[in-house]
Amino acid sequence: MQHVIIGNGVAGITAANELRRLDAEAAITIISCESEHFFSRPALMYEFCGQLSRSDIEPYERTHYERMGFNRVTGRVHSIDTEQKILRLDSQEISFDTLLLAVGSRPVQAPWQPAGVQGVGHFVTLQDLEWLKTATRKAAAKRVAVVGGGLIGIEIAEILLAAGFAVQFIIREDWYWPVALNREEAQFIATHMADHGCSILLETEVSEVSTDGATVTGVALQTGETVPVDLLLVAIGVTPNTSFLEDSPIHLDYEARHRGILVNEFLETSVPGIFAAGDCATVSWFDGQRRPEQLWYTARDQGYIAAANMFGLRKKYERGVLYNAAKFFDIEYTTVGLVNFQLEGQSEWYQKIPNQPISQRIVMQHDRVVGFNMIGTRWDHRYFICWIQEGRDLTYVLKNLHKAQFDAEFTPPFKVLPAAITSVSTA
Amino acid sequence: MYSNQKGLLSVYSHSTTNRGWVGWLLSALLISFYLIFYFTEWPTPVAALLQLGNKWTLYGLLYSIAILVGGIYFLRKHGNNRYHRYRTYTIIIVQLIFGFSIPYVMQLFNQHEYYFSYFWPLKIEYFYPDTILKQPLPLVLYSFIGSLIVFPLLGFILGKRFYCSWICGCGGLANTFGDPWRHLSSKSLASWKFEQVSIYSVLFLALTATVIVCVNWAVGESYPLFSHYAFKLQSFYGFWIGAIWAGVIGVGLYPLMGTRVWCRFGCPMAAILGLIQKFGRFRITVKDNMCIACGNCSAHCEMGIDVRSYAMNNQDFKRAACVGCGMCAHVCPRGVLKLENKWDTDPLSRLPGYSVKNL
Repeated sequence: MQHVIIGNGVAGITAANELRRLDAEAAITIISCESEHFFSRPALMYEFCGQLSRSDIEPYERTHYERMGFNRVTGRVHSIDTEQKILRLDSQEISFDTLLLAVGSRPVQAPWQPAGVQGVGHFVTLQDLEWLKTATRKAAAKRVAVVGGGLIGIEIAEILLAAGFAVQFIIREDWYWPVALNREEAQFIATHMADHGCSILLETEVSEVSTDGATVTGVALQTGETVPVDLLLVAIGVTPNTSFLEDSPIHLDYEARHRGILVNEFLETSVPGIFAAGDCATVSWFDGQRRPEQLWYTARDQGYIAAANMFGLRKKYERGVLYNAAKFFDIEYTTVGLVNFQLEGQSEWYQKIPNQPISQRIVMQHDRVVGFNMIGTRWDHRYFICWIQEGRDLTYVLKNLHKAQFDAEFTPPFKVLPAAITSVSTA
Repeated sequence: MYSNQKGLLSVYSHSTTNRGWVGWLLSALLISFYLIFYFTEWPTPVAALLQLGNKWTLYGLLYSIAILVGGIYFLRKHGNNRYHRYRTYTIIIVQLIFGFSIPYVMQLFNQHEYYFSYFWPLKIEYFYPDTILKQPLPLVLYSFIGSLIVFPLLGFILGKRFYCSWICGCGGLANTFGDPWRHLSSKSLASWKFEQVSIYSVLFLALTATVIVCVNWAVGESYPLFSHYAFKLQSFYGFWIGAIWAGVIGVGLYPLMGTRVWCRFGCPMAAILGLIQKFGRFRITVKDNMCIACGNCSAHCEMGIDVRSYAMNNQDFKRAACVGCGMCAHVCPRGVLKLENKWDTDPLSRLPGYSVKNL
């Protein structure tokens, strides 16, 4: 069997490892144009600011590919001949029996983003990291604008502040990261960012980028104002890296904003024997909608399932209860279940610890707890998943919530404050 | 002071902390400092000038200052975490009281100084008959009960961290003054293999030395040849293990090989407590499926444990080497790890409804 995997990210390498576990003999090839070695993408920020080295952010020793018998190819795949089962790269062709597309995402380009101007870029790939290291050295005035109120945006703001930059964080929405946070939560996180010296503009859009011909000099806002900068980071989202598949028989989600690769529950594309996993795959969500799941965790899980199916096991991909975690500067964040889907019959319980960036929000649908949004302290998401699956009510969950605390020892136990609010939303 | 994780970013890119020329220079200075203290009398006049009696009291004073200043530095960086706060307060207080003040006062009253925070086999001479005979009975009892009963028991209940990260002066210095270099410990498989051989060899040597020295005290006079070699073994252990490894190399190589060179590769106390820890309650719990493989935990582990490999595999773990400093859990950006003392080995037994997704 000749298994070929395009992409050396978490979906790709997880699938390769799993294939090897299932089949000690199979030929496994990994093609990547980004990196020879698997690295942790969320850790790029730590390498940038010098907290970790390159070898620190590589989870496996560099002998891993050799030990596992993976054949590595560095290069970009231009087209796929699905009839002949051949991949075309710059200078070679590779044939396959089964193929996994784990090609990930690329950053979304803003309409106002100029091409070929120095000091403008993204922070998604290893190449972006190298670019940012050089660009921050070149930026004499150390003023940066970060556009886009998501997780990559806040990480860039954090590391550039640490690198001594004056950071202007420009966010289009009414508050930071409305996909996951409500207004109150976003407000105290914004206060925390401001305490670190980050300047934030909300409900603000960029209209134009000014340059001196070669390098960025400022960002013009739709309000008419201009922010002078010598570095501009665009972090307005990522989109499936599928443009090389536009003319292939592999179906993409043509109607959607994200042209992800359409897959069935076995992560198989419209062409039998060709699978997709990770950021580039469009899968069915709990609400029946189809969209990509652009998370580290889902990419890893899909990698496992894709490998099983490439091997011929016919395993279904089931997301289960949603969960995710993140960190906003020093504030840790855990979310489980459905917290931002405006469900029918939804109500919420919320409390904020005074003077500290700590809050807990529990979402109910009718009487059942369906979601948790926990900020500032650590929680064991396994309890939350369990309670959601068991359909527990708020009284039970609040009584048992202390069991799910995962903070370091000596942290005081969770308490319900008198100021806690239960509200019924009208959605 | 404890408002945020100050200094978590951009700490390791400096020449001082990344084996740059400053690091090499510091290492050379530390090694010279130890060689001078151990093998010359140059510090003695300085000690006399400060009215500190002998050079060892001066050494104790400098050691205490290093722990105090390093402790304040550490608290400014990581004091937002209660575990680190209480642990560091304890380290500083133990050093100031038991590591310096009490021995100093005893010496003023012409008593043999006694370090209440050190025990056999780390302080191997506390089981040598010559030392025992010089001590009053309560101290002998304290030492024996400590080494043989209390320590194994606490190691079983709390893990070896109760000593290595809360009380011990060697660990104390590593976790305060040595903190900027903790990430330099080698995580390679080869160093783990070396560690397993070296630490148990030293333990074997320590046990052998103790037995031989005791036997020699009892019957040595009738067997001069045995006595000759017993004495040689005792001085070999005292010189190569006690002075060169624990001191000169152990601290001298902080800026090049990380902070626990002695604790990890040599300390016989760490070896014993580590074996007990394997069967004890202490473990590091891993939250399933939450690891993003960033590597902060492994990089910050001063004992060279590849914590990330356990986190990625959803595996709770007990490692003999782990000194329970708590840094892996502290620096994890997704809060995946937790240090715990729990009798039940399977935390999911507390969660009947939960099962790891069968992938």
